[in-house]
Amino acid sequence: MSGALKRFRVMAIIAGVMSLLLWFVDLPVVYLLNNDDWKSMVAWIPFVHGWIYAAYVLTALQFATKARWSLKKTVWLILAGTLPIASFAAERRVVRQYS
Amino acid sequence: MTQKSSFLTKLGQVVAVLLVTALFVALGLWQLQRAADLKESLKVATAVDMNVVPLESITRPRQAIPPSALNRTVSITGKYIANFKAANQKDGNELIQDWEVALLQVGDRSAILIVRGLWSERLLNPDIAQSMDIQIEGLLVASQDGDRARNQPGEISRLDSAVVTSLTDLDLFDGYVVATSEATRDQSLERTRVVPEKLQSRIPGFYWQHLSYVVIWWLMAAVVVFLPFYRRRVST
Repeated sequence: MSGALKRFRVMAIIAGVMSLLLWFVDLPVVYLLNNDDWKSMVAWIPFVHGWIYAAYVLTALQFATKARWSLKKTVWLILAGTLPIASFAAERRVVRQYS
Repeated sequence: MTQKSSFLTKLGQVVAVLLVTALFVALGLWQLQRAADLKESLKVATAVDMNVVPLESITRPRQAIPPSALNRTVSITGKYIANFKAANQKDGNELIQDWEVALLQVGDRSAILIVRGLWSERLLNPDIAQSMDIQIEGLLVASQDGDRARNQPGEISRLDSAVVTSLTDLDLFDGYVVATSEATRDQSLERTRVVPEKLQSRIPGFYWQHLSYVVIWWLMAAVVVFLPFYRRRVST
């Protein structure tokens, strides 16, 4: 359980940072600014975010299974990785409950 | 009764798992198709055909350029009817300069944008009258989709016939031609020509991005199949 919790916490923080980069750096550059050089500079962000999020989902599923969470709660935990602040909040809540 | 409802619950779970798995597999297949389509379009876009063909034999006004017509060397004869400055344009040597772009009337009813050369050399051929027939050879390129400057009188923000539609009643060709030579009936017009952007023969990152999403979607499909067994193993 503690291993699964640690893995989830690490991935929640990394996924949160990647979501912040995606929402507040990549998306504004792609959709609000008109600069091809900047667009190519931030092209790695959605690519890396996709992989990080997949790893986050795996750790969240493992943690939720070991903690015997309901399906609804598990789905919320998985969705938390898609929003910039939500994965940090989920990580804090999980730490408060299980540490 | 309890046995029956338990069976139905299990059946529902199996169906849900199969549906979600099928969805993820389908999403993976979709990304695989997008990667294949991208690779195919690049093959067409980077093929260099040095034969000179008349513009109207490979594309028509008011229609998107067919992929097979992109980057072809074309010949056109027509009259210049307007001149524009296209600021902040990057050439094949990564040099950012202002270009002189003209609208060439082809026949009676159509027109196309021609990149003639550098804006700083626009006064080199003052003898070209607007009524004069000009023969042009050049590379047919797809329209730019991002602005390089502001649209203002005498200046176009990008090389795209859409930005000059309000200025003319003529039917415009999609894309533009980067002139490699211009000639009147009597003489060839000498000036510095713009080096077109180099064609990319390398497959860009998007191809690998699509392929990596295939892996992610199929990994998720595998996780959904494996999860019920994992839950059972954890609970025992």
